[in-house]
Amino acid sequence: MITTNDLKEKIIAGLGLEDIGVDEIDDDMALFGDDGLGLDSVDAIEITLIVEKEFNVKIKDMGEAENIFSTPTTLVTYINEQLEQDTK
Amino acid sequence: MDNKCYMDIKEIKNPTSKVEQLSHVLHCFNNNIFEVVYDKSQPALVKYIESLDKKIFKQDGMQFLYFTSGTTGLPTGVFKTKENSLTQAKALLKTLEGMKFNRVVTTVPFVHIYGVDIGAVVPQLLDIDIWTKENFLPQELASEAEKEGTLVVTTPVFIKALNRIKKDANFSKSYFLTSTAPVSKEDGKIFHELYNTSVSQLFASTETGLMGHKKDDEDILEAYEGVSIGEKYKMLRVSSPFVTKKILNNGVIEDVKPPFQTEDIVEILNEKEFKLLGRSSNLAKIAGKRISTQQIEGIIEAMDGIDCVLIKIRKDDRALKDEILDIYVESKVGLDAKVLRKVLKENFGSMNIAFKIFNNVSITRSSVGKKIGFKEL
Repeated sequence: MITTNDLKEKIIAGLGLEDIGVDEIDDDMALFGDDGLGLDSVDAIEITLIVEKEFNVKIKDMGEAENIFSTPTTLVTYINEQLEQDTK
Repeated sequence: MDNKCYMDIKEIKNPTSKVEQLSHVLHCFNNNIFEVVYDKSQPALVKYIESLDKKIFKQDGMQFLYFTSGTTGLPTGVFKTKENSLTQAKALLKTLEGMKFNRVVTTVPFVHIYGVDIGAVVPQLLDIDIWTKENFLPQELASEAEKEGTLVVTTPVFIKALNRIKKDANFSKSYFLTSTAPVSKEDGKIFHELYNTSVSQLFASTETGLMGHKKDDEDILEAYEGVSIGEKYKMLRVSSPFVTKKILNNGVIEDVKPPFQTEDIVEILNEKEFKLLGRSSNLAKIAGKRISTQQIEGIIEAMDGIDCVLIKIRKDDRALKDEILDIYVESKVGLDAKVLRKVLKENFGSMNIAFKIFNNVSITRSSVGKKIGFKEL
């Protein structure tokens, strides 16, 4: 089971967000857009690669990604659902 | 992308999505309607354009006005004619002779010259469909590139991303074009070997249009047909039918006399070939967007308690955003990363700029006051 903190650590390391700590990213904070972490479209691509490399979960469709990338919680929920399906 | 959903070419007053931008610029292009093309997600640019005298926008014979980051801090406006775009598209297609394309897939937005001229005008000239969507995943682009006869108009970010996913795919019946930010020699080689295709890297700027091109891991750029190259103080000068004749500098229209002096440091090998050695260090290219480090230095120096700032550009080939700003700060208070992130967002909008701050330094200057280095305190 992946936790939101596991994901946040990987995102911080992968995107080089050296000034941001895990505890500064709320589980329900928007990853993109002006009101949240403020990541951009290139960061979105980087996160899909991080998720694939670190958790072995592929995000196949950007339409789908727009929803699952909303917050750390939505992304972790998606990762865990995929991992659960893989073990069935 | 699996489902075809055609959109008509039509006037759209305030285009927001990529498809709307495409539809609108093609409407303007086909009907010779002048338009200002810019990225509305950049607040500083929007503010600057809104501050301009509207008479500036009425220039005879011009098709589009684009904006590029100026080295002095203010964006530079670049007027282009329809002829600039059409002769350039023909020169590009000459380098693709013998290849057959039945569609163009473009990942780039239509808010700057690369997206419009290469992603929209080229397929118009070929009379083939343009396929696009708001955001692409590397896997989605890979699926599209597997389809025979696809010309992919993209950026180095996607070349690097495709290399990293190492998808079991073959793009041998497609071809890739990327924008000016360099694809490293290693990435070009890996891409060619992994996917059995080639990527042509277009060396260009908003002011000059296309200048040269190279393929995969080649070192040498070949000038496009019609482009004359030369150098002054080791920096590239070009003349061509694609170069702008009019720019907007500090709110004033200026005529551009050929040859156009770039800030790219080059070695000229012969009249058609040259090597890019670097560029004048005050322009960073982050995720395909050119940013003036002087502009950012100015923004930071305007913050309370900051005395002097020097920015150096660091390369990180592993990251998709391969240029990172090392920011050296001379101040009594220190610069806080979160504060800076907020300020950059206010000025550059949705772009997340990668940086690392070095506080507690003293900036050293030359005898004429130019910032040349730093000393740790």
